[in-house]
Amino acid sequence: MIEGAASRETIEFLLTCSGVTGEPMVDQIPNLGRESEMLSEIGLSSMSDLFSNIPEGVRREDSLPLPPPQSEEQILEDARRLLGANVDLDSRPSFLSAGLARNFVPTMVPMLATRGEFLTSYTPYQPEVSQGMLQAMWEFQTMVSELVGLPISNVSMYDASTAAAEAITCAVRVKSKKATNPNSVFVSGLVPPHRLSVIRNYTQGVGIELHILPHNDDGSLDMETVSSAAGSSAVYVEQPNSLGILDEGLIGLKEIIGDSTALIVGVDAVSLGLVQPPGHWGADIVVGEGQPFGIGPTGGGPIYGIFACTKEFLRLMPGRVVGQSIDTEGKTAYTLTLSTREQHIRRHRATSNICSNETLIALMGAMHMSLLGPEGLEKLATRISSSTYAVMEAVTNIPGVELVNPGGAFFREFAIRLPGPAKDALSSMDEAGVLGGFDLGNWWEDMSDCLLIGCDEGITEPDISSLVDALKAWSGGIK
Amino acid sequence: MSTVFDFKGASGSGWSQPDSSFQNPDAIPESLRRKSLPGWPRASEPELVRHYTLLSQKTFGIDTGFYPLGSCTMKHNPRVNERIVQLPGIDRIHPLQDSSQVQGLLAIYYEMQEMLAICSGMDAVTLQPVAGAQGEFTAIRCIQEYHRSRGDDHRDKVIVPDSAHGTNPASASMCGYQIIEIPSASDGRLDIDALRAAVGDDTAAMMITNPSTMGLFETNIAEASRIVHEAGGQMYYDGANFNAIIGKTDPGRMGFDAVHYNLHKTFSQPHGGGGPGSGPIGVKEHLSEFLPTPIASRRESQEGEPNGVGDGFYYFWQDVGDKSIGKVQQWNGNAGAVVRAWAFYRRYGRDLERMSEHAVLNSNYLRHKIMNPEPDVAAKINCMPSEGSEADLVMHEFTLSMSPVKEVNGVTGKDVAKRLLDYGYMSPTLYFPQIVPECLMIEPTETESKEVLDKFAADFHAVLSEDPEILTTAPHTTPVKRVDEVWAARNLILRHPGNDED
Repeated sequence: MIEGAASRETIEFLLTCSGVTGEPMVDQIPNLGRESEMLSEIGLSSMSDLFSNIPEGVRREDSLPLPPPQSEEQILEDARRLLGANVDLDSRPSFLSAGLARNFVPTMVPMLATRGEFLTSYTPYQPEVSQGMLQAMWEFQTMVSELVGLPISNVSMYDASTAAAEAITCAVRVKSKKATNPNSVFVSGLVPPHRLSVIRNYTQGVGIELHILPHNDDGSLDMETVSSAAGSSAVYVEQPNSLGILDEGLIGLKEIIGDSTALIVGVDAVSLGLVQPPGHWGADIVVGEGQPFGIGPTGGGPIYGIFACTKEFLRLMPGRVVGQSIDTEGKTAYTLTLSTREQHIRRHRATSNICSNETLIALMGAMHMSLLGPEGLEKLATRISSSTYAVMEAVTNIPGVELVNPGGAFFREFAIRLPGPAKDALSSMDEAGVLGGFDLGNWWEDMSDCLLIGCDEGITEPDISSLVDALKAWSGGIK
Repeated sequence: MSTVFDFKGASGSGWSQPDSSFQNPDAIPESLRRKSLPGWPRASEPELVRHYTLLSQKTFGIDTGFYPLGSCTMKHNPRVNERIVQLPGIDRIHPLQDSSQVQGLLAIYYEMQEMLAICSGMDAVTLQPVAGAQGEFTAIRCIQEYHRSRGDDHRDKVIVPDSAHGTNPASASMCGYQIIEIPSASDGRLDIDALRAAVGDDTAAMMITNPSTMGLFETNIAEASRIVHEAGGQMYYDGANFNAIIGKTDPGRMGFDAVHYNLHKTFSQPHGGGGPGSGPIGVKEHLSEFLPTPIASRRESQEGEPNGVGDGFYYFWQDVGDKSIGKVQQWNGNAGAVVRAWAFYRRYGRDLERMSEHAVLNSNYLRHKIMNPEPDVAAKINCMPSEGSEADLVMHEFTLSMSPVKEVNGVTGKDVAKRLLDYGYMSPTLYFPQIVPECLMIEPTETESKEVLDKFAADFHAVLSEDPEILTTAPHTTPVKRVDEVWAARNLILRHPGNDED
């Protein structure tokens, strides 16, 4: 049971709050002090008259047990103190990724995306005064489409996991008439448990049965069992998978499952600067985490999910789409289109409940992608690939440390097996000032001696030395 | 019109990056290699800064002008919030870092959970859902598991009023529920008799917002809760209109079991052209064991433990347990939005009540100003709209029906909305709720001054006084004229066709 709020008579977190005087929120409410003037115009005498429709039985009589109001200066001071108590990824050698990148975001991106017109606009339901955001999203759709090799992209999902989950429900809607096992969907066994949990939440209510596809010892998908997925509505795999493995076998997957089963592929978006996009090897829907383009890890959000598909899925896909159009004078214009799929029109028959999405973060993504350009993308992917292999070579030279899935190709991440619990290794490395990766025992119990090491474009030689020294010091100590 | 794809600099142009100090040329096998690069623009920073600046100038935000978009709570977004989320202690934080490394973020999560519980009268709060619709979905999932845990699997219906946001039925439907839509009473409020007729032993939940999308407080809400509870159902509060009631009443007092909050409406997370949002949920104790996992918790610090944030507590991610529905977002929600909302609430603290008071004051004031023009102004108006509801008082928003205007001179709600764009305003919410014909839904929020409201009312009257043809062909002064939405749906040009040389 979660600790209840039954005793919330006074607020106990005041110690995190610096003292205050006066009425600091006067700078936010322009009509403070003019209440009686406005009330008398509408024939009322007090502010409480405005709430006379709230019946006595449900009215709150006492005031809120919250701290006093603060000024901007005090809020900033508290924010600096509280957030300053966190260890940020750039303050030490960091090898923690696990699906979310410690990236470098060009300065232009947050500066331009937070221009007030973008930042404070709503969903562009009035296209005549929203041409800027609409065009930027249409350009975003184009860049995602080019990146993954599919013709259609929406303007974002919440994250990679909801994108994957809604891709599955979308695929079932489209394929259920052709599939012989319409409610069956096959999912790679290396989909990390948090994503699988999101997928289960999104699919359980509509009667979808999830089947797990096994993997070989080298981390590649077991192609022998894949044929059992033929006849189902969809197969969901990831490239690279959660252990960083680029699986050559996936290139032939569509041929095995056939046209009646949708192939959904989750990607590391940056890897597509080097790696063949799934749209070129038969994927029907491509999803993934857009975050490496546009925004820092931000404690896990806001980030954005990519969703791209073939024309077959267009009318049953989730999320908003921008289309080109013309105005009454024939001039090129942009507008939201295919809205009849969406909840505000179709209500319980909508293709998704998504309303607020991650547009501003997708805008940051579009800006970052535009800055990179094709060759910049290739270079960024190459830098990450190079650092992945450099780190791998260094740590697997440590006695007692071995690669979990030798022989394959990797991007950004790889797993190593340690001579003891990964949990202990991480806390020992933490004491040495190194964020050494992710304890895979948190995802899979039988991998509690395995560490997932994430490598980004910012890794340097000294970072690698620090990691190796810290890991050596720990592994040497347990012998 | 130029696009970003018109930038076609030389191969290799674009953003400059350092060369890698590591060389591994053959790391990725040939069969996996990309054969040709994506057709992205090739542009320098100065070109792109200008491109996106020009695009921003063709985008209307709250910063540009009054944004009376009903149900969306388009209030001012304090700028210090944007400064705070650029601090490395949030921007450069990974959700999988050990609790000991994120004491400050956990303390803010904890404080936000407590604050939202207090304001809503709920017992436990999760900040994981990242949008209002995802909050609805999450809460309905918790309710679904609650019923299942009691062997009540047969409860397969969710009741929603016909004035509900479209996300309500869509979210319940995604959980596998059948939707029972009940019609509103003639005054626009909940029809208690219709509710009584709709409930039964198949009722899983009722989803309702209060004040309603008509801007009316549901005076029968306690009775509605009693009816649903007696039938064995759960009461779900759509927090879209929470801005109207903070400190005045709360969903707990009204009898609700679960509620979602829109941090992007009530607590000023910027709307960003459609997102990101943040849609935490609060629940009563009996639903708390089904919440998504984990939530922020704390215990008294033990001796020798790191100092944390200096308040004597150690903060940590608490696993919710075996009955938890698991995850709805892959990490811990939109932490950046949570931090912004925290900075917003700190500005008001226990005076959040003033915020709701002024939201309701501004709404009633503007409604009065629009519906009661001075005689000399009234004489020039072709035809007045009617009230969406005839109530004496509204809450934070109100509805108008343009039906009388349409009958007299053919001017629709959409025409009025488009003409308001020429006057420098965002249009009100159009044609929602659907139960009000030719509906305009107006929500001024507490951050607009009396002068802005007076001017908007005067300009609204000016629009109603104009030659109808000016309205039916509006807008006239925007970057493009009225956009042909049918053309867009027919031609489906959803991306740039690509440049030949790519």
